Amino acid sequence: MLNAVGVLGLGGLLGTVALGLGTTPADRVQGDLVRLIYIHPPLAWTTYVAFGVTGLFSALYLWRRRPRHDEIAAASAEVGVVLCGLTLATGSIWGRPTWGVWWTWDARLTSTALLLALFLGYLALRRVVIDPLARARRSAILALISVADVPLVHFSVKLWRTLHQQPTLLRPDPQISGVQAWTLLLGFASMTLVYVWLAGRRARVEALEHVAEADALELAVASR
Amino acid sequence: MPSDATPVTEAHPETAEPVVVPAQGGAGRRRAWIAFALIGVALGFLLFRGLGDAAVYFLTADEALAQRDELADRRFRVEGKVVAGSVKRRADGVEFDIRERGATVSVRHQGDPPELFQPGIPVVLEGRWDRARPVFQSDRILVRHTEEYRAENPERVEDYTP
Repeated sequence: MLNAVGVLGLGGLLGTVALGLGTTPADRVQGDLVRLIYIHPPLAWTTYVAFGVTGLFSALYLWRRRPRHDEIAAASAEVGVVLCGLTLATGSIWGRPTWGVWWTWDARLTSTALLLALFLGYLALRRVVIDPLARARRSAILALISVADVPLVHFSVKLWRTLHQQPTLLRPDPQISGVQAWTLLLGFASMTLVYVWLAGRRARVEALEHVAEADALELAVASR
Repeated sequence: MPSDATPVTEAHPETAEPVVVPAQGGAGRRRAWIAFALIGVALGFLLFRGLGDAAVYFLTADEALAQRDELADRRFRVEGKVVAGSVKRRADGVEFDIRERGATVSVRHQGDPPELFQPGIPVVLEGRWDRARPVFQSDRILVRHTEEYRAENPERVEDYTP
């Protein structure tokens, strides 16, 4: 089932890239540079989803204390960190020829870099705490603090003056249409499916690691 | 407990008291603490930098004019739309006007403007006010393109109109 999701997602991404590089037209202002729009916003959106899922399952864990929730939270955070890093990288690549700079400290870019740092901290915390109960509880708390940055990132362009432009799609009057819009939507959908597949696989590995941990503990205790 | 794994018969870490386990991978834990500390430093830096710089990222042309005396020699960013017909290339740079909220600022820029620089497009300039004349001396142009996307049509001739 998960594999089907993965295949669909990757297929969709291939389609997005093909449409993005071929069928879609150049932009009136940006020319061919616009083609990065089919990758960068989908990565950003999926980053929000990934960290949102981590926040949700961290809250669920603190409420129900089920290890499965902790595993999903951790797996989603790891995929989210990769997505966030790619968001910043593709944004930077896009920014250099359009804005004229690789980077600037405006509110959107700063808050996104902050988001990456926070969840890198989450992943580091999980390596530092070896007791599974304490690890789950502490990282859940850190996740809930860190996920507060997600709405901040999204609304940063509205709350402050930024170099980064306003949202194109998530507004009452989307500023994109035609084959550009459909390709963008395909990008969003495909990236989300790929995230689900990766996070699902990673959660499974996390669960197996917990079993291995428990077995190793049992062996250590038994061999005394 | 994972339902499809081999049953763990003795210790159940999820429900038992935390057991003191002899530390395995001590070096790994130390590295993780270092990573944690570095991330903490990065966070602190980001917050310090971000709160300062990002909060007042640029002044609009009218604000820059109004605050010209207080700004004096200070380096800041000013934003406005490039006025059509005002762009003049010089030997070492380019001169143009920007307009925002009814105010016009004359700009003298050192160096070449970026690729998307064109009449009508919003730009953010980094630099400072000239001491003598009300001209903004800029050394960096950031093109602040908007969020609209429209297909290019070679038969349609138009200026940049957001």
